Amino acid sequence: MATDTEGQQQTAPPQRTERSQRDVQRRRRTFHPRARKRCAFCEKKALQIDYKKVDLLKNYMTDRGKIKPRRRTGLCARHQRRLTTAIKRARHLALLPFTIKYLRTS
Amino acid sequence: MPGYELVFIVQPEMEEEPLTALVEKVTQNVSDLKGQVNQVDPWGKRRLAYPIKKHLEGFYFLMQVELPASAVRGLEKSLKLMEDVIRYLIMRRDETGTK
Repeated sequence: MATDTEGQQQTAPPQRTERSQRDVQRRRRTFHPRARKRCAFCEKKALQIDYKKVDLLKNYMTDRGKIKPRRRTGLCARHQRRLTTAIKRARHLALLPFTIKYLRTS
Repeated sequence: MPGYELVFIVQPEMEEEPLTALVEKVTQNVSDLKGQVNQVDPWGKRRLAYPIKKHLEGFYFLMQVELPASAVRGLEKSLKLMEDVIRYLIMRRDETGTK
């Protein structure tokens, strides 16, 4: 009996429908959450968030000019908050863009 | 007197002479308001990230200023009246970094 079921399991995967494959992928994604990145500004105390450091702030923006969310930056709440105000100040001074209108996708 | 950081952008068609005159005027304004300018740091002509008043470039100036707290509004007002200044930002120095 045991050998019978094993044989079935081996042949089962190719027969999966597209829908069930997607379900498996989804389950896998929720099952293995990535280890949380440590906050870069807490790790390196000397690194200060400043609205004048344009190159530093650019690392925390998408190529469309949006501010990356915390789940992408890995920052702690306090530093993410300071980062957003710094980016907004830099935007006011036209050091950073609000949007990048026409982005080539190809 | 708290320390402030003042950044302002001057429109790009400015010649060198009126530019220094303008910086002088801002300095004069600060001392009129019983403050003092400790440092002027010209960043030079920079490309703007987006057009301001149809200008694509601007002269940036960073100033370290000491000013009585009540005079900040007065300085803002005077900067607003200067037509060659297209953008400015006044910040308390202890707020600029993280701290």
